[in-house]
Amino acid sequence: MPDSPHHDHDPQDHDSHHDPDPDPDPDPDPDPDPDPAEMLALLEQQERRVDATLLSPVPWLYAIWGIAWLVGFLLLWSGWPGGNPWFSVPLPIAGISFGVLILGSIVASAVIGMRINAGVRGASDFPGAVYGISWSASGFAFALLGMGLISNGLSPELASVYFPSAYALMAGTLYFAGAALWRDKSQLALGIVLLVLGSVAPFFGQPTNNLVMALGGGGAFLVGAGIMAARLRRTGS
Amino acid sequence: MAELDPVIHAAARLRITATLARIPPGDRMSFPRLQELLDMTAGNLSTHLRRLEEAGYVEVAKTHSGRTPVTYLSLSTSGRRAFEDYTETLRLLLGETS
Repeated sequence: MPDSPHHDHDPQDHDSHHDPDPDPDPDPDPDPDPDPAEMLALLEQQERRVDATLLSPVPWLYAIWGIAWLVGFLLLWSGWPGGNPWFSVPLPIAGISFGVLILGSIVASAVIGMRINAGVRGASDFPGAVYGISWSASGFAFALLGMGLISNGLSPELASVYFPSAYALMAGTLYFAGAALWRDKSQLALGIVLLVLGSVAPFFGQPTNNLVMALGGGGAFLVGAGIMAARLRRTGS
Repeated sequence: MAELDPVIHAAARLRITATLARIPPGDRMSFPRLQELLDMTAGNLSTHLRRLEEAGYVEVAKTHSGRTPVTYLSLSTSGRRAFEDYTETLRLLLGETS
């Protein structure tokens, strides 16, 4: 499909060329004086439609992260002695599963983020790219710090206090930045929950801190997904 | 009584302008994405975009994504202003205070 033929043809030529209708209507304005009330309704309907379409992937984004946090941290909690009283998971399997869930969510976020921004370019490219990179850059930095602590003698038990909290504090801080960039209160709420979780979870002791992360973090994302989905359904109708 | 801008006061062009006003100033939207958000045929959309461009309300930028030509559309400063004036006049006519 030619992307934009509107510079190459006279509009009326163009219409008659593309619409082999026996009674073509070359007038692009069939109603020369539309009713103001109808126009206002049309305007508001279109604004709601654009918002709903642009934001429609956001509940999925939150739901994916909610499941990753809930399942991932429950597995970690079930991997440690003194954790889950109902069943246990071998710790290496819990650790690998956690990594796969988080990496999968990062990939899903990147794909969904590109979909939200599809076809829009310009001044917001730079802040968007910087924000996108900030997740992987700070994730890498916090992971490296953890490895540095381990190489300085940090025990596996303490490492399992450090990593979940470091991760929650990182994500919480970045959600604050996201809230500021996009004036989005849902990200602000998530940021507050994650900062509280990351700083309070160690006081529950290891490995219960993982359960706190699973229920608090996973719960917050899933509630956020539900609220966004309900809001979109209201505006989209 | 306040006059409604005839360039915007047509169903299709009002919807186009409202859609482009939804992205922040300084950003532009590709033709296919705009078409998707409007559910208009390419020919119909082109016709109305041409009218908006002639009025100086819409800016057209042609670039390439690899080998594929892509057209990006955005509201000009006067287009954004005209849309705000139109909306205000519409609400005034309908007796809304805000």
